[in-house]
Formats: sequence, C-alpha cells, structure tokens
Amino acid sequence: MFPSSAIVVTAIYPPAYSLADLAATSARVWARALPLVLLLILVAITPSGSLTAATSVRLDLASVDHPSFSLHRVSIAIGAEGSTARIALGRVRFGERVWSDLELECSQFVLAEGRIRCDSGRLRLPGVIEPVTIALSFDPDKKSGWLRLRSDQDESVDVSLRADGGVVLTLGQISLARSAAWLPWLAELGPGGRFDGRMDLAPGAGALRVTGQIRDGRFSDPTGLKAAEELGLELDIGARLTGGAWRFDGTLSWVAGAAYLHPLYLESGASLSAVGVFSPKHLILERASLSLDGFRSLEANGVFDLDPLHIERLALSLADADLAVVGPRFLTPLIAPERVSAVRFGGRMSAGLQIVDGSIVAIDAALDHASLALDDPDVGLGPVTGVLPWRSDTETRVSLDVGGGHWKKLILNGFMLEANVEDRSVSIESLSIPVLDGRLVVTDLAMQRNETGWAGGGGVVVEPISMELLTTAVGLPQMSGRLSAALPGLRISPGEVSLDGALAISVFDGYLWVTRLQLLEAFGVAAHVFAEVEARNLDLGMLTKTFAFGSVTGFIDADIHGLELVRWKPVRFDASVRSSPGRYPKRISQRAVQNIGALGGAGAVAVLQRGFLGFFDSFGYSEIGLSCRLEVGVCRMSGLDTGDKSDPASGFRIIRGGGIPALNVIGYNRLVDWDELLDRLQRVIESNASPVIE
Amino acid sequence: MRVAIVLRAVCLMLWVSMAGLVQAQGNLEINTPAIAALQGSMQQRHAQLGPLYASGAVGIANDGTISLRDANSVPLAQRAQVNSLVAAENADRAALYREIARANGHPEWEGDVRRTFAQRWIDRAQPGWWVQGAGGWVQK
Repeated sequence: MFPSSAIVVTAIYPPAYSLADLAATSARVWARALPLVLLLILVAITPSGSLTAATSVRLDLASVDHPSFSLHRVSIAIGAEGSTARIALGRVRFGERVWSDLELECSQFVLAEGRIRCDSGRLRLPGVIEPVTIALSFDPDKKSGWLRLRSDQDESVDVSLRADGGVVLTLGQISLARSAAWLPWLAELGPGGRFDGRMDLAPGAGALRVTGQIRDGRFSDPTGLKAAEELGLELDIGARLTGGAWRFDGTLSWVAGAAYLHPLYLESGASLSAVGVFSPKHLILERASLSLDGFRSLEANGVFDLDPLHIERLALSLADADLAVVGPRFLTPLIAPERVSAVRFGGRMSAGLQIVDGSIVAIDAALDHASLALDDPDVGLGPVTGVLPWRSDTETRVSLDVGGGHWKKLILNGFMLEANVEDRSVSIESLSIPVLDGRLVVTDLAMQRNETGWAGGGGVVVEPISMELLTTAVGLPQMSGRLSAALPGLRISPGEVSLDGALAISVFDGYLWVTRLQLLEAFGVAAHVFAEVEARNLDLGMLTKTFAFGSVTGFIDADIHGLELVRWKPVRFDASVRSSPGRYPKRISQRAVQNIGALGGAGAVAVLQRGFLGFFDSFGYSEIGLSCRLEVGVCRMSGLDTGDKSDPASGFRIIRGGGIPALNVIGYNRLVDWDELLDRLQRVIESNASPVIE
Repeated sequence: MRVAIVLRAVCLMLWVSMAGLVQAQGNLEINTPAIAALQGSMQQRHAQLGPLYASGAVGIANDGTISLRDANSVPLAQRAQVNSLVAAENADRAALYREIARANGHPEWEGDVRRTFAQRWIDRAQPGWWVQGAGGWVQK
C-alpha cells in the first residue's frame, strides 16, 4: 500500500512518434490523446508503470504540451479503490481553440485487474458541455477500452478503442445548437437539429470513414438571408491518409427541407459527390459532381487555399441545363429579380466557368434552342443556338443563330447575331433582322456596361416594310403603303433609347414623318415614347374607308407635336389636322357627318343646313380643320377657327361648307374627355351605326 | 501664392453657389404621366410593403432604395417573393429618379434627385420602421 502522494509535473509531450500529421484531423488526435491522458494518470500513480492499488493519489501537472493540444493546470485526484476520482483541467488548448475549467468526476472509480474504470461520472466544460454523464473503461496493456457520454437531452457519444488501434466513434442525437460552441463559424449561423453518425478510424489511423445524417436541421444568419429549415442531410465520406494529407471520396445528399440563400430559394433533392485531397493548408477538389433537378450534370474541380480561404483555381461546368426549370429558379432571381413572374425561359444551356486566383477569367456558354420571353411588355426571342465565350483578358466573338422573336403581335424572322465581346463591352458591326418583307438593320452598335447599366450607341435603318403586312400583323385595319426609317443616331443609356433621324411611312397615298423618337423605361410600368409626327397629303377617301368611318374625299395634313405615349397610349400631344393645300374634289358623306356628330356626343356638334341632310348622300366642303391639345386626360378642342372661347354658346368650325349642297359642321365641346372620345370612336368604327339626326 | 488661394476660394464659392442654384431650380414635385404611373405602381405596392416595414424585414436605405434587411420575420418560402417585391420597388424608384430629373430637363440631376429622395423617405418613415443611417440601421 502506497501512502497518499502529491506530485507536481511539467510534461513537455515529446513527438516520440510522428504526431505532426495527426493535426490534420481532430478525430485522429483525440483518438491518441485519450489513451495518452489516461496513461498519464497511470504513470503518475504507478511510477514503475505497473498497476498497483493505491489508497488515494493526487497528481498536479502544470502543463502538458503538444503541437496539437496542451493541457494546463491539470489536477488528478483519485481516492481509494472503488472510490471517487476527479480530474480538472484549468485550460485546454486544441488547435486554435481554448477552453477553461474542464471537470471530470467519477463517483465510482476502479483500478483493478489492469483496467481503469469510471462509472456514474460527470463531465463538465462550461459554455461547451453542460454536465453530461460519463462512463469509461480502459485497459492500458491492451490499449483498448470504451467511453460513453450521455446528456440530459438524449445525446450520446460512444467511443470504442480497439486493441488493434482502431477507433469507433458513434454519435446519437447530437444537438447541432450545442455543438456550435465548438465551431465559431457555425455558431454565427445559429444552427439547430440533430446529428446521428459514426466514425471508424482504422488501426494506425490511416483510414477514416464517416457516415451520418442530420434531421430537422436549420440555420439562419442574423439577417435571415442565409437560412434553412427542416433540413435532412445524409453524409458518407471515406478518407485515407497519404503523404500527410487525407485523400477523400464522399457524398452529401440533401434529402429534406428548404433553404434561402439570398436571392435563391432552394428545395431538397440535390446530391453532391466529391473526390479530392485535404490537408491543413489546401483542399484539392479533383472532381465534384452535383446532382440537381434541371441539370444533366454539374461538375467542378479546383484548388483552394484554406488559410485564409481563397480560390486558387476552380473550373465549373454544367451540361444540358433545362432553362425552363433552372431559369426561374436560378437565373431570374439573379438577373431580373423584379420580374420573377414575368420572365419565361426555354431550351437548353451548357456552360463552363474558370476562376483563377479568386477572379473569373473565362466563361463559355452554349445555347441550344434557348428562348427568353417577357409577359409585359410582350416580347420574346428564340430559339437561339450558338456560343457565348468571354475572356477577362482578350476579345471574343459571339455567334448566335436566332430563330426569331416577337414584339406583341409582330413576328421577327430568323437572323444571325455576330458580336465582339471584351471585358464589359459589346460591339456589333451589323445586325440584320428580317421583319415581314423588310428588315431592321442595326449598324455599328457599341455598348458598354458601367455602374448604372448598359450605355452606348449606333445606327438603325428600317428597310421598307409593307404596311399591308404590318397592319395585318399587329391587328390594325389593313393599310397600304410602306414603312422605312433612317435613324443614324441611336443612343442607349440606362432607361433610355433615343433615335435621331426619321421614320418615314408612306400611307394613304401620303406620308408620315416620325422624328425625335425617344423610348424611356421600356421595361417598366412607366414605359413611354416621345415623338414628333408630321403627316402630309393623306388621302381621306382611303383613310375613312380603312376605318369604316363613312366616306370623305380630299386630302389632309396633320402635325402632332410633343406626342407622348405611356404604355403605348397617348397621354399628351398638341395635334392639328387641316385640309391639304391644293385643288381636288372635296365631298363628305352623310354617314361621315353622322359619325362626326356621334363622336362629339349630344349637342357637341351642330350641322348647319340640317334640313338638307336627309336628302343627299354627300355634301361639298371647302375645308376641314380640327385640333386637339391633350393634357391630363382632357382634349382641348378647336377647329378651323377658335370661335369665341369666352362664350360657351359659341362654337368652332370643323368643316366649312363649299359647293352644292354645302354643309358646315360646328363643334361646341371645347373640353373632351380623351378616354370617352376613344370609346366613342371605337364604337363608331365597330358598329358603324347611324346616330339619329334630328 | 496668396492670389492663388484667393482665386481658389472664389472659384469654390462660385461653384457652391451655382450648385445651390441648380438645386433651387429643381422641382421634385413635378408631375408627368410617367411619374404618375410610377407613383401609382409604388402606391399599389405599398399595401404589401407596409407590414414588411413595420416588422423590420424591409428597411429604408440611405441610397434611395429599400432593402431586405432582416428576413427572419418572413417565412422561408416567401423570402424570394419579398426580395422580388423589394427589387420591383427599387426598379420603380430608380425610374422615378431618372424621370424627375428628365422632367426637370436635366437628366444629369438623377444623382441629386436620388439623394434628396433618400433623405425624404427616411424623414417620412413611420415610427418603428428601420432606416439606414451613417452608422447602420436604426429603428425610428
């Protein structure tokens, strides 16, 4: 029997066998650390190394140091056999982490038959491990034993040290919230859920296999922009130590739950498999493959520096992405989050991306019958087939075969798009888009991306398009003539497209000039167009026949200044219509007169010489004139003369009679609601009904 | 040297006074059909944004935009929709600033209009809403 003893020791733990490589994984270090600590106890109480019963022993170690861990203020107090034991560690360092005041108490501590045994123990590490029950058994001769930890929240940790040197660690219902105390980077995400798993460390610590699963997992960063709920993950990783690094091969399957990784909302169903090499300084990803709905394959390989984390080299490739599936899920939230429900994708895409030293250096995208369409405005492009290469340090050539497109009811035919791309700029020498029987030709377009968006300029030419085809295509009454344009000054800036030049339309045997065209906020709720319009010598006979407005022979000129369309509806203009100068037949049919009356509403128009109206089909006139200044939904009308504006009873002359029988039309309503006027016009055209003339 | 300093000071005063003149000439209350359309769109959206301001999920940023600053109060499955709502509001706001600058005949004033509106949104935020100050987000 030895008397009670107290020993003070400073142990500098020698690298008696190569432990440097053990730093690679905590599991492996602890696998060796645990028996070593237990051996220290034995050595302390049995200086000879043989186990002998002692009444009570107290061991105080100032420190135990190892490159991977250190223990400070170690105090081991063991009572008589079958009595209690207490181990206290004032400070524990493991890698970069430091903990204080670890306590292990065994209410039943046994040293017998060459084994150490602790039953009904309690382990406590403030802030990390709340008191858990512990039981252990260790045979120093065979270097085998077991350790069991149980928490009051049904968590379990079982460690089995086999005599051959193998270690099995089994984890049950481990709380991820409590585990976060061990991992500061995980703690920031506020994790929750339970983990069940098993780790097998082969004899010699040269091979490792980890399997496990997370149930009801969740996490959320403080902003809620990285968060997941009801997560189910399954993990299976095998690793082998080779040349100081772990070669691994594993899979991670996401089997339940959903995540929001701003701005993407993702649901379970993905599976990642990876092969690579892990060392304390580097992660070499030889091959990673992600199985995800919508992609035929998603693969990556690369090299990462881990201290600090940095992408040294990374190559990503995706094959046969179904854009109808992945577009709404991944593309729209990234490139047009404000229009998530209004963008539709189709076709397939394959792509490759290379990152070197943390920067994207190359992107290659191949489109296969891809299409893109917006609901509002109703525009679309596709199918598009071709390649889009991009390099950070050199110009590349984009070549796309565009099968067609549409803008509202107007269909664009197929064309080739060739563009040069360099860094943040795109240039197109010439782009010729067939539109019906003509062409829209864009020349010398150069665009650059700056901090507010795309800006640049070029020129536009519209080669003659048949008005018959155009009006039919867009659902207007058929008109004859042609539309063409020479707009050499195309300027584009964020929210604005300006066109210097003129759009010319030959129609109704006359022509229209549209100048100072400006399209603003084309894709927003306030899409609007500015233009100046000048019309000359329009044949009223053709015009009124086209719109079924009765019959008027003669010609008119029109000027529309400051025309503004918001969402393609006129909201502001100053327009005037006059008979064209010259000598030509001027007749107006009874129906046209009646329709003019119907447009003005009750009492709005008076037809002089009314008594003759019923006797003749048509009347002579010498001049027609009408003007409307539209502002705030109200059209301020006047005619050939303004009349006496101060006298409400005074009208303004719209048609001045001439010839036999002659007819004058006077308007009285100087302020007309624009929408109401349009409704009446629509009704007149649709029904062509004859209003009652008193 | 002294002359150069005086000249520089005079130039600076001139620039400051002209900048003030430019500011003074700008009409932030100007109305056009496009501005009315944008305001209508934003007003309609406000019915959805109001509860998000009140919960703190969405805050008023100091650059004239709004921001999804604390999504924790929004159910996970709805966060993408809320982000879309925020993006749509920001698109309208950007168009509004451009349009007001254009309506004033000075498209180049967009930045000034944005800054002025940013402060105006913050000043008009209701008590309890979160706004972004120089030091970060604060609750009014």
